[in-house]
Amino acid sequence: MSPGLPYLVVRSHALMADLLTPERMRALVEQESLDGFIEQLVDTPYGEISIEAEGEISIALEKVFYKKFIERMMDIVDLAPRNIGDFLQSYYYLRFEVVNLKRIIRGKFSGLPNTQIIESLISIVPYSVESYEGLASAETYEDAVLRLEGTPYESLIGSLELSEKYDAIWPVEIALNHIYARAVLKSLERLPQRDRVLVRRIVQAEADVENFLVAAKQRGAREGAHRPEEMFPATYGIGLETLRATIESDDIASVIRELDWPYIQILAPLYTGDVALIRSRLRQHIYDIARRGRAANDFGFNVVMAYLVFSEIEKDDLVGIGWGITQGIVPEDILKYLAIPNFI
Amino acid sequence: MEMKRRIGFIERGTEFLKLKRDHLAKELTASIDVLKGRRSILLENLRVAYRAVTAAYISLGPTEVRSQASSIKTGLELEVLPRGVMGVRYPFIKIEKEPQIAGELDITLSEAAEKVLAILDDILQLAEFEARAERIADELGKTNRKVNALENTIIPSYRQVIKFIEDKLDEESLEELVRMKLIGGALARRRE
Repeated sequence: MSPGLPYLVVRSHALMADLLTPERMRALVEQESLDGFIEQLVDTPYGEISIEAEGEISIALEKVFYKKFIERMMDIVDLAPRNIGDFLQSYYYLRFEVVNLKRIIRGKFSGLPNTQIIESLISIVPYSVESYEGLASAETYEDAVLRLEGTPYESLIGSLELSEKYDAIWPVEIALNHIYARAVLKSLERLPQRDRVLVRRIVQAEADVENFLVAAKQRGAREGAHRPEEMFPATYGIGLETLRATIESDDIASVIRELDWPYIQILAPLYTGDVALIRSRLRQHIYDIARRGRAANDFGFNVVMAYLVFSEIEKDDLVGIGWGITQGIVPEDILKYLAIPNFI
Repeated sequence: MEMKRRIGFIERGTEFLKLKRDHLAKELTASIDVLKGRRSILLENLRVAYRAVTAAYISLGPTEVRSQASSIKTGLELEVLPRGVMGVRYPFIKIEKEPQIAGELDITLSEAAEKVLAILDDILQLAEFEARAERIADELGKTNRKVNALENTIIPSYRQVIKFIEDKLDEESLEELVRMKLIGGALARRRE
């Protein structure tokens, strides 16, 4: 039985102290070796990390950071009142499950061995499907999608026609993104009205930026460009007409300049050339939404959500740092694409 | 006579080898100049592409990058054919099929992949050029050693042998002449 929201809020406040500060993150980035990086983590909640000698180190580290995040999320879910627990499970588990489904479908599409597909999955208990192994053992990606019949992902079967038409899996991936966004927005109904604003802002910002990036990618392929209606069955802050203009415009900068804040700032790297910066700016924006949400209501659900948002961004940043250090990338080049150390 | 014919043949061969050496040296100098220029341009482009790949990895994470990269159905297909200059064989790389990166990748990764794809041709050409220059340099070294061995060892030793034989023959013919003169003198004295 849940000890109730007030306890969960107090607990979230306490757990915030476990999160790595921007200064700590910067110190991690500046480590010259992987040993130094792992050593720096010993004094943090990540503790001693032992990496198996076999396999790729950066991927092993990624698994460690994901595991920690899932543990943190589950600790919160265990303490949360039922409505909040259900929402958080569907928010995070659905997100990871969508990532896993994309990886299975991509793997089947390109004919990867089943073991390699399973190895690439985020290790979570299947949320809305029976088993990932079952899907990965399908003969083809179409077969894998057909096996989703009777699950919340059933509507993906409808995107197979488009997928066959273009001999590509992007229709399935986009359909998955929309299933996720719709399901999260629907699951918001479990939360009281006042607690929905924060999550809605986060989900919509993510969906808007993803839609815009997909549209921007279509710009070069005028002739072979896909119909915006097919690609964007659901839009939020950035509407279908803006997405159409993005695909058709010769000057993307002018389209971005017409957008509202924060998109004008998040998407600016599209015309300055460094597209990877968009994701770190989006993460910074989400970090900021959570921070403001927490400041607006320091005694409610926003604190719980802010803790989980900060934890997830920390996980993403640590994955990037771990990879960068194993590759011997200079700190400035790693730092540029992180969210927390750059958060002002 | 046989030795003289042989040394004539060797000297003609040496001249041919010298011509080959000069031609290879000219080819190598030209190749090195081209290589220097191309290499610096390629290094700069590689840096840009590598930065984009790095950004994609940091932004998406290594597992996601791998998963997305695996969805590229058509990979790079190459055919390596032999080509030759002055008898030096070097590999010629022909691109049979370029990877199709459109569609499936995230924009971050697709930008990085496009940057790598744009310089793929240059990388292959440079690799081909480097292999060519390396093999020409190798052949130039071998030809140079052959010319040196012929000019400094084989031809002089042949000349020495010929000189020795000629000296010996001269000596023998002089002895013969003296002997003939002595016999002639003795016969003349006996007739008197």
